[in-house]
Amino acid sequence: MLEIKNLHVAVGNKEILKGLTLSIKAGEVHAIMGPNGSGKSTLSYILAGRAGYEITEGSVTYNGEDLVALAPEDRAAKGVFLAMQYPVEIPGVTTMTFLKTALNSQRRKRGEPDLDAIGVLKLVRAKAKTLNVSEEMLKRALNVGFSGGEKKRLEILQMAIFEPKLAILDETDSGLDIDALKLVAEGVNALRGPERAMLVITHYQRLLDYIVPDRIHVLAGGRIVVEGGKELALELEAKGYEHIVKEPA
Amino acid sequence: MGAIVLGLPEARRNEAAALFRSRGVPHRRVEEWKYSDLKSALGEVGVGAKVAAWQTSELPAGVEMFDLSQANPPDWVRAHFAQPSQNVMSAASLALSAGGVALRVLKGAIVTELLKLDFTQHGHVRGLLVLEEGASITLVEGVGIAEFRNVGFEIVLGENAALDHVRVSPNAGDGVLVEEVVVQVAAGARYRAHFASFGSKLSRLELEIALHGEGAEAHLSGVSVLDGKRHSDVTTHVIHRHGNTGSTQLFKHVAGGQGRAVYQGKVTVAKGANGSDSNQSAKALLLGENAEADLKPELEIFADDVKCAHGAAVGDLDAESLFYLRARGIPEAEARGLLLHAFLEDAVAEIVNTDQRELVRTELLTALKAVA
Repeated sequence: MLEIKNLHVAVGNKEILKGLTLSIKAGEVHAIMGPNGSGKSTLSYILAGRAGYEITEGSVTYNGEDLVALAPEDRAAKGVFLAMQYPVEIPGVTTMTFLKTALNSQRRKRGEPDLDAIGVLKLVRAKAKTLNVSEEMLKRALNVGFSGGEKKRLEILQMAIFEPKLAILDETDSGLDIDALKLVAEGVNALRGPERAMLVITHYQRLLDYIVPDRIHVLAGGRIVVEGGKELALELEAKGYEHIVKEPA
Repeated sequence: MGAIVLGLPEARRNEAAALFRSRGVPHRRVEEWKYSDLKSALGEVGVGAKVAAWQTSELPAGVEMFDLSQANPPDWVRAHFAQPSQNVMSAASLALSAGGVALRVLKGAIVTELLKLDFTQHGHVRGLLVLEEGASITLVEGVGIAEFRNVGFEIVLGENAALDHVRVSPNAGDGVLVEEVVVQVAAGARYRAHFASFGSKLSRLELEIALHGEGAEAHLSGVSVLDGKRHSDVTTHVIHRHGNTGSTQLFKHVAGGQGRAVYQGKVTVAKGANGSDSNQSAKALLLGENAEADLKPELEIFADDVKCAHGAAVGDLDAESLFYLRARGIPEAEARGLLLHAFLEDAVAEIVNTDQRELVRTELLTALKAVA
C-alpha cells in the first residue's frame, strides 16, 4: 500500500530524512520509534502533505500513485489520515460542523453522495460514544478548550468516522494518561483490518503494549537503523535508544 | 444653502455652517481623517448641497415619526435635535440638509417588531431617534448606494432604555458614504450596535457615544469584508462621563485585493467616572500584499479605579489551521472560507436578533467567497 524509497527531505537547508525506505502492506500495523529529532514528525507531515518540506531525492508511492504530487485534501479523500501530534484549535468552527464538512468533502471527491445532517449526526454519535467523546464536546469550537486527552480522542474519533485506508498516528500517546491511552488504543484496534494499514509513530514503547505492531522500525538520524518484530520495542525499552542506534553503524 | 424650513433655532444651523466653512471638507492631513481622505475621494464633485432621502418601514406600535422637512416640530424633536457638535461632517449635514427623519419610541414601550430605516440617494440628510425612559427596540438601518451621502444621526436613550442598532452597508462600488452617529446614553440604558460593511470608494462611520449615568452601557461589534479597492472606516469615540459605566468594542476585518480597513477607536474615561469598565479589540486579516488595515485603539483616562483593555492585531490566515482542514479533506478554497468565517464569527454572534444575525452571516459568506 505504501512504498517509501530512499526518501531524502530537507527543511530549508537542513536535511532531516536521509534515505528512508519503508514498505507497508494492507492489513499491517507498523511502528516507527525513535529519539527526539530523528525525523519522525517530518515523515508524518510529508505523508499528509504539509507545506515547507522539500523532497530532494526518493519517492513515496501510495497504492501505485505518487503520493507527494497530491494536494493534502486529495490524499485525505484517497484514504490517507494523519492523527496529529498537536491538533489545531479553530475558534468559530464547531466540531460537529467541521466533521460534517470534512466527511462530505471526502465523499464528494470520491464521487459519493453527501450524507445529510441527520446521517452525519447518527454516524458521529455512534462512534463518539465508544470513544467517550461527549455531545457537549461536539458542540464546542474545534479543539478549543479541549484537554490534551480530549484532543487526541477527537483525532481518533475522526479516524473512526473517515475510515481511512492508511492511518498515520503521530505521537498519539503523548500527553495521555493510562485510561485515555487504553481508550485510544481500543479505538485504533477496532479499526484494524485486512484492508487497512497503520503507521504508529511513537517515542515510547508504552503505546505498543496496547497497539501491537507487526513490525517496528527504529528511526535515527533520518534513516531506519534497526527493524524487527514487536519484541524490538521491549529491547528498546530495556536498553534505550543510544545502545540500539549505535550498534548497526 | 437651501431655505431654512426646519423650524428649528436658526442659530444652530448658522453655527454648523460656520464650523463647516472654517474647517472645510476633511482630508488626510487632518489627523482623524488620515486613513480616509474624503476631500480627494470626492474630488471635483465636492459635498454639494443636495438633500438625500430616507424611508421607514410601517411604524410599529409605540413609535412616532416626524418629517424634519416639515415646519413646527414637536417638543421632543426640539429638545433633542441638532445638539451642539464639533464634528465637521455632522455640521455639514445640519447646515446643508433641509430634510430627514425624527423617530420616537414612547416611554416604556417594549417594541419587538423591527424598526427599519433606510437612508438613500445622493446628498445630506439628518436622523434623530429618541428612546424614552424604559423603551426598547431594534433599529435596522439600511444604507442605500449613492455617489455621495452624508448622514448626521442623533440617538438619545433615556433612562433604562435599550436599543439594538444593526447597520449593514453593502458594497457601494465607487460611492462615497459618510455617517456620523452621536449617541447619548442615560443611566441604566444600553446601546448595542452591530455593523457589517462591504466597503465603497470611501466609507466612513463615525460614532460618538456618551455614557451619562450610572450603569449606562455601550456594546459595539462590527465586521467588514473588503475586496478590490473597497475602503471601510469605523471611527468611534466612547466617553465614560459617569462612574460604573461599561463599554465593549469588537471589530473584525478581512481585506483582500487593495481593500483597506480602518478602525480608530478612542475611549475616554472622564474625571470622576470611577469604576468604569471598557474593552476594545480590533483584528484584521489581510489576504494580499496590497490589502491594508489601520487599527488604532486609543485610551484617555482621567479617572481612578477603572478597568480598560485594548488590543489590535493584523495578520494572515493561520497556515497550521489551513493545513489541518485540508488534511481532513476540505478543499483549500472551502477551508479558507471556513477559517475566514470563523474569524468573523465572534463579532457576528453579538447580533441579538436571530434573523438579522443570519442575514449578516449569509452576506458575509457571499462576500468571503469573492474575496477568498
